[in-house]
Amino acid sequence: MTTSRLKTLTANREQPYSYAFLDAYAKRELRRKILKAIAVPGYQVPYASRELPIARGWGTGGLQVTLSLVGPQSVVKVIDQGADDSVNAANLRQFVARMTGAATTTDTLQATLIQSRHRVPEERLREHQTLILQVPDPEPLRRIESNMARARELHADAEYGQMWLVLYEQLVRFRRYMAGASYPMMVHGRFVMSPSPIPRWDNPKLHQAAHLTLLSAGREKRLYAVPPYTDAYSLEFEDVPFEIEDQRQWVCARTGARNKFMNEIPLPDGGAKYEISDTGYADKLVERAIDGPEANTLGETYYDDEGNFYHAGYLKPPRRPA
Amino acid sequence: MPYVAARGGESAILQAERLYHALKAAPTRELIRAIEQTMPYLIDKLIGEGSLYAPELAALALAQTGGDLYEAVLLLRAYRSTQPRIGYALPLDPAKMITVRRISAAFKDIPGGQVLGPTLDYSHRLLRMDLLTGANDEAPPPVDPAERPAAATYPLVADWQRANGLIATEKAEQNGQNGQNGHSGPVDPAEIPDVTRDPIAIPAPRAHRLQSLARADTGGVLALGYSSMRGYGFIHPTVNELRLAHAEVEVTHPVTGAVFSAGRVRISQAEVVSQSAADGKIGYKIGFCATLGWNEVKTIAGATLDLEMSSPDAHPALSEDFVLYHTEPVESSGFCIHFKLPHYVTFASDTDSLRKAMETLYGIPLEMAGLKAEAAKPAKPPAERTQEAE
Repeated sequence: MTTSRLKTLTANREQPYSYAFLDAYAKRELRRKILKAIAVPGYQVPYASRELPIARGWGTGGLQVTLSLVGPQSVVKVIDQGADDSVNAANLRQFVARMTGAATTTDTLQATLIQSRHRVPEERLREHQTLILQVPDPEPLRRIESNMARARELHADAEYGQMWLVLYEQLVRFRRYMAGASYPMMVHGRFVMSPSPIPRWDNPKLHQAAHLTLLSAGREKRLYAVPPYTDAYSLEFEDVPFEIEDQRQWVCARTGARNKFMNEIPLPDGGAKYEISDTGYADKLVERAIDGPEANTLGETYYDDEGNFYHAGYLKPPRRPA
Repeated sequence: MPYVAARGGESAILQAERLYHALKAAPTRELIRAIEQTMPYLIDKLIGEGSLYAPELAALALAQTGGDLYEAVLLLRAYRSTQPRIGYALPLDPAKMITVRRISAAFKDIPGGQVLGPTLDYSHRLLRMDLLTGANDEAPPPVDPAERPAAATYPLVADWQRANGLIATEKAEQNGQNGQNGHSGPVDPAEIPDVTRDPIAIPAPRAHRLQSLARADTGGVLALGYSSMRGYGFIHPTVNELRLAHAEVEVTHPVTGAVFSAGRVRISQAEVVSQSAADGKIGYKIGFCATLGWNEVKTIAGATLDLEMSSPDAHPALSEDFVLYHTEPVESSGFCIHFKLPHYVTFASDTDSLRKAMETLYGIPLEMAGLKAEAAKPAKPPAERTQEAE
């Protein structure tokens, strides 16, 4: 090693941080691990996971993936629980913009990279768009096997019998599947995967999708992927289909829309009102109501106004065991 | 104002941060220097958990966060993670460290002698109220020098035990995983697994285990180590040797190839021993923990956990998987405080399942469970109603 080489390696005080914060070695590792994750859909790839200037558990896994993919031409959207202006989404978006100069947007159609905490947007994502889901717990087997080494063996053997047993016990006790968000999915017929705590409403959007979904857990140091046009099925028995949330009766108080995922907002009189969780989409509906259809471009949605999912036949009508 | 999905979230977080800083005195260069000089043990704890030997930056982190230790550790770690690895220091030989305190509980006297060094162990824990009044502001009484100055370096207690055949010999780990033991031949430092650059896998290479303990949360290591000592484990840790020392960080010069010291670091290390019958041969087995900075409680508890984690049937809370994952200060504190973030989508999904099950099992009509359409009601947010009432 020569002195000039040494100089290139020591800190440059004028430009203390690399482009997109992560150093080149960290980006290279992440990109390699992302390629591996795409090659083996649903498989959890371990990665080193650097500390970021954001608290662990606050989206550092998704952020590392975003920072390893973002470039000057990128258009970045960040949402938390569906909302662009939630405080943590605002913080992460500011950080990405500050470290990269990338453009930001709230419009799903314009984004090239969408980092999200626990929602898939309502408008259909297209090819060459990447959805990056923040993951608190990547291990769908955690409740049945908390030891990570043994859980990895179960995945390696595709030994998912206990997962089916959990579902069966729920049917016996409650006559329905009881999982809320984080409802496990089988990806490409091989790996059971946690889709992150997205509502069940969003699970079908990962199946045979045009876009790439990357899921990354910074604290747990695992990332995995659902590549475009890949099968992804929520776990279900043949005779008792998986069910999404039933919000058919709910009407958005801001837009009057139905059959989009809604937030339930308690009111002082004991009642509740509802509004669309995807604020980027809802804002466009409001704009159009005021300024007419020229106000913006509205994308096709995964669920139509009657609540029909765009892959006909993928969601089956509910059936309860006797 | 609701903090979730607050319209104008960007302005809200800016003002919230300003308010945090407004509620404490602004840090000055003098304050940062004073923290570094008056609180070396606090600085050392941060240096260890932040795994960054930078007393000045640790003092800055404390001043900047108003003393929130987990925030301060995160500041150091987030800075550390941007620094390139420009070289590898040579392994430390404990027998060459400039040792200021070394004690062994296993023997009354040891080769080189017991050296009490700096400690509060035998102090009376009485608050010095007189310092509050300023009545006794003069410098504390100086240390009387010993008649014979203590030696700078000391042999290892474990070497005596090894020579006497008391230590159960371990098979040397392959693939450069025996970074702890200076006696088993040269190791290329670049071959030692680095927990900051590789994902940890369980069972962990020994280097990852010791690095994780060195970076671990002092309180977390103490809680789990104490649970072992109290009887949930089966180790009775005898402190074979506890050391506080200054160690030379020796590196090889990139041009001349000469070995030189890049500086000194404060380091603490503990060895505990417990009887073992591993591989059918009985003897004492050594648990080891070292960290940057002087932090005795962490190294004693950490060395105890090192032994526990090697036990074939450790208590689940003392297994390697459990200990290493749950004593990570940045990850554990970050995940704990993340529960402050909005979770309303997840909660709504769970509530949907709960309502449907209540309907199926108890026949509670959906309306009673709050699942009725809201179309007829005027849709005004509660804040506006309040304003109208005023």
